Amino acid sequence: MTEVRRFTHGSRIPGWDDAVDFSKDPAVVPDAATTPVPEHLRAEIEEYMARYPDFRSASIPALRAAQREHGWCSPLAIEQTACVMGLTPGYLTAVGTFYDMIETQPSGRQAIYVCTNISCSLRGGDAIYSAMLEAAADDSDLNVRHFECLGACDIAPMASVNGEYVGPLEPSDCATIIADVKAGREVLPDKQLRRRPSAHTIAKQES
Amino acid sequence: MPRPEQKMVTFTLDGREVSAIENSMLVDGAKCVDVEIPVFCYDAKLGQPVGACRMCLVEVEGINKLQTACSTPIREGMVVNTESDRVKESQRAVVEFLLINHPLDCPVCDKGGECPLQDITFGWGGGTSRFIEPKRHFQKPLALSPLIAIDRERCILCYRCVRFSQEVSEDYQLILSERGAHSFVSTFDGHPYVAPFSANIVELCPVGALTSQAYRFRARPWDVEGSGSICTLCPAQCNVTLTVRDERVLRVLGRDHDEVDDGWLCDKGRFAYQAMHVGERITEPLLRDGGELRPVSWERALQSAISGLTKAAGRTGAVVGGETTNEEAFLLQRLMREGLDSPDLDSRPGGALALDLHRALADPALSATVVDIEFAHAVLVLDCEPVDDAPILDLRIRKGVRRKGVKLAVASSRPSSLDANATLSLRFAPGAGEALVAALDAALSGTGDVDGLAASAGADVDQVRELAALLSEAGEDVVVLWGERLAHGPRGDHAVRGLLNVASRLKLASADGAGLLEIPSGANGRGLRESGLLSNAGPGLGEPGREGRDTPAIGAALAAGDLTAVYLMHCDPVRDFQDRGLWNRALSKATTVVAHAGYLTEGLIEHATVIFPAEAYAEKEGTFTHPDGRIQRLRPAISHARGVRPEWQVLATICKAAGLEMTFHTVPMVFRALVDAVPFYADLTLDEIGGRGMRWQQTAAAANLPTASDRAPYQLTAPPAALTPNGSLRLGTYRSIWAGSEVAVSPALKFLIPHQQVELSPDDAKRIGVGHGDRVEVTYDGAAVNAQVTLRAAVPTGTVFLAEATDSQPANLLTNGEPRLVEVRPA
Amino acid sequence: MELLYKNIDEPGLNTIAVYESHGGYQSLRKALAMDRADLIQELESSELRGRGGAGFSMGKKASFLPKDKMDKYLVCNADESEPGTFKDRELMQKNPHQLIEGLIIGAHAASANCAFIYIRGEYDYVADILDAAVAEARAAGYLGDNILGTDQSLSLVVHRGAGAYICGEETALLDSLEGKRGNPRLKPPFPANQGLYQGPTLINNVETLSNLSHIVRMGAKAWSELGVKNSSGTKVVSISGNVQRPGNYEIELGIKSRDLIYGLAGGPPDGREVKFWFPGGSSAPILTAEHLDLPYDFDSMAGAGSMLGSGAIIVIDDSVPVVDVALKLATFYRNESCGKCTPCREGTNWTVHMLERIDSGEATPMDLDIMASVQEHITDHCLCVLGDSMAMPISSMIKYFRPEFESHIEAARHRNDLGAPPSPHPVEAVGSAAAGPYTSVA
Repeated sequence: MTEVRRFTHGSRIPGWDDAVDFSKDPAVVPDAATTPVPEHLRAEIEEYMARYPDFRSASIPALRAAQREHGWCSPLAIEQTACVMGLTPGYLTAVGTFYDMIETQPSGRQAIYVCTNISCSLRGGDAIYSAMLEAAADDSDLNVRHFECLGACDIAPMASVNGEYVGPLEPSDCATIIADVKAGREVLPDKQLRRRPSAHTIAKQES
Repeated sequence: MPRPEQKMVTFTLDGREVSAIENSMLVDGAKCVDVEIPVFCYDAKLGQPVGACRMCLVEVEGINKLQTACSTPIREGMVVNTESDRVKESQRAVVEFLLINHPLDCPVCDKGGECPLQDITFGWGGGTSRFIEPKRHFQKPLALSPLIAIDRERCILCYRCVRFSQEVSEDYQLILSERGAHSFVSTFDGHPYVAPFSANIVELCPVGALTSQAYRFRARPWDVEGSGSICTLCPAQCNVTLTVRDERVLRVLGRDHDEVDDGWLCDKGRFAYQAMHVGERITEPLLRDGGELRPVSWERALQSAISGLTKAAGRTGAVVGGETTNEEAFLLQRLMREGLDSPDLDSRPGGALALDLHRALADPALSATVVDIEFAHAVLVLDCEPVDDAPILDLRIRKGVRRKGVKLAVASSRPSSLDANATLSLRFAPGAGEALVAALDAALSGTGDVDGLAASAGADVDQVRELAALLSEAGEDVVVLWGERLAHGPRGDHAVRGLLNVASRLKLASADGAGLLEIPSGANGRGLRESGLLSNAGPGLGEPGREGRDTPAIGAALAAGDLTAVYLMHCDPVRDFQDRGLWNRALSKATTVVAHAGYLTEGLIEHATVIFPAEAYAEKEGTFTHPDGRIQRLRPAISHARGVRPEWQVLATICKAAGLEMTFHTVPMVFRALVDAVPFYADLTLDEIGGRGMRWQQTAAAANLPTASDRAPYQLTAPPAALTPNGSLRLGTYRSIWAGSEVAVSPALKFLIPHQQVELSPDDAKRIGVGHGDRVEVTYDGAAVNAQVTLRAAVPTGTVFLAEATDSQPANLLTNGEPRLVEVRPA
Repeated sequence: MELLYKNIDEPGLNTIAVYESHGGYQSLRKALAMDRADLIQELESSELRGRGGAGFSMGKKASFLPKDKMDKYLVCNADESEPGTFKDRELMQKNPHQLIEGLIIGAHAASANCAFIYIRGEYDYVADILDAAVAEARAAGYLGDNILGTDQSLSLVVHRGAGAYICGEETALLDSLEGKRGNPRLKPPFPANQGLYQGPTLINNVETLSNLSHIVRMGAKAWSELGVKNSSGTKVVSISGNVQRPGNYEIELGIKSRDLIYGLAGGPPDGREVKFWFPGGSSAPILTAEHLDLPYDFDSMAGAGSMLGSGAIIVIDDSVPVVDVALKLATFYRNESCGKCTPCREGTNWTVHMLERIDSGEATPMDLDIMASVQEHITDHCLCVLGDSMAMPISSMIKYFRPEFESHIEAARHRNDLGAPPSPHPVEAVGSAAAGPYTSVA
């Protein structure tokens, strides 16, 4: 018998094994007098807060704004957001860690999500993910993640590159994608979903 | 606002017809007929059920799916089955799921023996598990705060602790991070969870995941006994159960009383029990001998005290702190008035209030209860900070606002922790409470110079008008929670008349759920007054015979040599009172300073001639009177520490020596005498007070309260205008919940000892040229306090705040009880 | 019949000018002129069933909102996350005004004055298009105070999520929209009574709302005659997986499933056969090749023990091991479980562990029974349907492919050289007194 695999969740999650640090003060609502916030970030968050009947609804847009500003939702980014919103940093951490697109651990600014859910994996999504990881291996600014169904199974296997949906991908496309991202170019223009006619239209034309 | 009506309905539970309160949850209804439905995530105290643990699934006829009993309201004719095979299987399934990752380390777990998970597994679980994968293992235990340890392996993610932090204490520091099976309880970026009520989560935890650092591995449930009493550390007088092992208190748990504490405790109340068993505690009489305080025999100490006091006789004063019981107060006022023939006694640090006003304030029609806060249309928090002054009331206010839609207004000098919950937060100059209530009175009555009075209060006139509108339009049930400090100082009478005017304009006396609720500065402040410890009133707010000196006057008379002896019962005026300078002079001039104290504080070390050891509250017997008039019993849980004697006996001994006839053998006998002396306590018996207390206002004898001769609305005189900063700053002071000897000597709480800090507004800091964390010197007339700057955006420009009773550099180096302007400069 | 997909690929259809040139916003005028009760009646009689997955009558749902005057909300669920579903994305990207018009009509029916489109964060570029369309509609007076001079006012905010499958569950969506963790809420109270900000709230899927302008335009009767009984109207079906032409197709419900999979989508690659398929997203119990001749509508899918769900068909051909799909699926639900309730949080996690052992050959046939029993313990015991969404398809896979699971274990055991299997033991229900070697005492 081989050894049964150990539980692979939990202790690898950042946080499970962490005690608190007594040298820190309790994390109450950051005081505006001691928490400098970039003016444009403050303005953006306040604009979001004004959109809703309850300002707390703005927590996700605000965290995403802070993430754009800081690259990830670092403790500093969360403190700034908490200060503008008048919430505790804990509130925003609880929210932030719940959602996949909020990065509460250091990560690259360029978000490359490769779908590995059923429909994509049936068409080779896992291979795309490996190829993408390989292509992006040398650059810490690239945040390559496998992702749950991105809602574009019509172009499976696919990826979302900084929000741009591209597919169907071949493993060989990955190097091009990474090169495009690094150069700041448009990614795979002829494989972008937004430019693609719907299957319904194509079927109609063919029949 | 109207309290929910409780209508009884009949429903069928496991084939039995039972009656229960309509719309109460099935879990609670079932309990009344001795059917236990197991739950983990549900606790009525936490508010709306969340239905997360799925332990309480039951079958309700007519509904296809199993329902969570914690969230299913009972309705007439409902048919519920908690014992069907389907229900049993779901219960076994949930227990099996929960035990997947729960370590079976019960033998070494602190919760073992009093663990809901353990009990429910035995009671409802299947006894076996089919999970053969390895359980997860983590570092354990980890510190969550200096008070609380967390063991994440044991956590079953029931949400109770995070719901407490987020929805009850609303500190929102404790959170659930991540998602799904990865979820774990944590805090932001490794910050400790330190908040005034944090350790309630230990009591809430249904497993051993959250344990008290102070109690861990101290005892097993079968080693200990529980003993009910009340906590005497602040006026909130929460009901507690003391966990006792071998005559030592090892733990304090809440003893839920929804009319007092709602089932919660503050961390001070929960951990300060440690102060009973520390080396710093005074456990034998001390006598000044050759300039030093030295332990002496009881006989010698009593002899010295008696001879000092009887020698001074009529030139003796007495100043009493809030930890004194009604019985002790009663004996002490007899000693002073009858034994020593001195009328100079007081329990109010800020000076006397006219007797007529005491009576007007005590009017049962005008008194609000703790529960009224929760159901009021509006609550005004006036010149107090509940979380510091009577912490548990802070939670009650939050509950009212959050769950019942109470409109909250805060009127204070210092930014309040309740500002975020308040519909309106109004700031006024420190010490200008009188002008503020006068302005509010004018705004409510529509007569008088609101603008001028608001200016005198240093408040924004529009806000005063908004406050008046809010209070008059919210509905008839308005509760004004006010701090004794409003009535402090030579103009205290005027401030209280203003307050009574406000009450009369709002017709608080005519609505059942409306009224005034004062937070006194001492824990038993109300009881001391009603027991006769006032310079101008005898027991039962009766005529005193001869009016005496109040606290400031006693200090002045001692300093001037008009009084030569002083009895300090549970107080150290040098540390606690505003005028440190006066009291240092007064006590050094006095020939005899007799004190009852648990710990040596600076004034006593310097000046006391005889110190009798104070009883710890777990050793003490007697009664306390809650701010809302509830008489509560203090029951001894442990025997006295070696060398400590019951203080009432000490007082009785001195009374006897002073020539009084003393026929008391027990505390209940003293209580009987007290009841006889206080006409409106006449209907109270210790039996009826029992474990839940009793409000004297609810007895027929309440009618015996002497009535005030003059009634609101009063003609107010113009209040003095608030000082204009003009480059200097108004000085405001506050006393932190963590100030006090009990915190300073309790090993678990030591990390919370408040250190002096200078709270400045960003504008003033900029003008002075200092930043956050810089050291500054705050000066007044040559005296100085040296501390670090804390910048707070909410501090009004032109005001600086200092903490009272800190370990060093206390605010009363600069104060005398009157508004002052101070200079702040870089140190 | 084409309704939602009419002119779908016409350039510029996402602008208000082109949309209006095709008669856009005319239905809105008609609807606003109608009495609220009549409009709800019209929607009810159209028998439009929600297109998000549950298939509940849209008109009935709108009628549940209290009639009193107070702040009411309409929330469009655009958190399209069900694996295999991508219809809303295309509808919003290419014809956003169709959604906005339907949404305003829905708001009028519910007399809601405040609306939100909760769009999943991954659809950022679609959200940008929606934002632009909302601005156009506002400028044209279709949003804001007193729309077209009526007493109907409506504010509309496009709210972007941040990546969490569970936020497609309507009450989790509300929590998320309120700025909290997206945990489902206990029901009752239902959103129609206490939803967003504790106010009455109507929640509808993108496709559902996109249908409203057509119902109003055609009249409920004409519209309801499309499709078949209990499945009226057209439906956009997303077909993906092992088919030659994956994509969205607008059909009338009731057409034969085979015509969808083989006809429109071209069937599996040459030489492959359909092994099994999900008729309504990955949460639907699977069907096999023998079900291909069933009509594709709500009732027939339910009759076969599955559901139409969001109308997302995922086709798996005979080259794919069922264990791979089961593991992928269980892992997905494990990762996406919010963690609030016990059976889902622990049950999905446990199932993944068992499937991992099955995949590596460390399991025995007994584990299949335990796994099936665990699925039963999850089903109907959870706070929301996420747990069921894993339990039901996994149960159905065991039901249809148990021999393959067993041979998969055997093959993996040999491949990984794990030696002889442990002797089989009778499987005990939870709580039985007998304890086999795999039974640790709790």
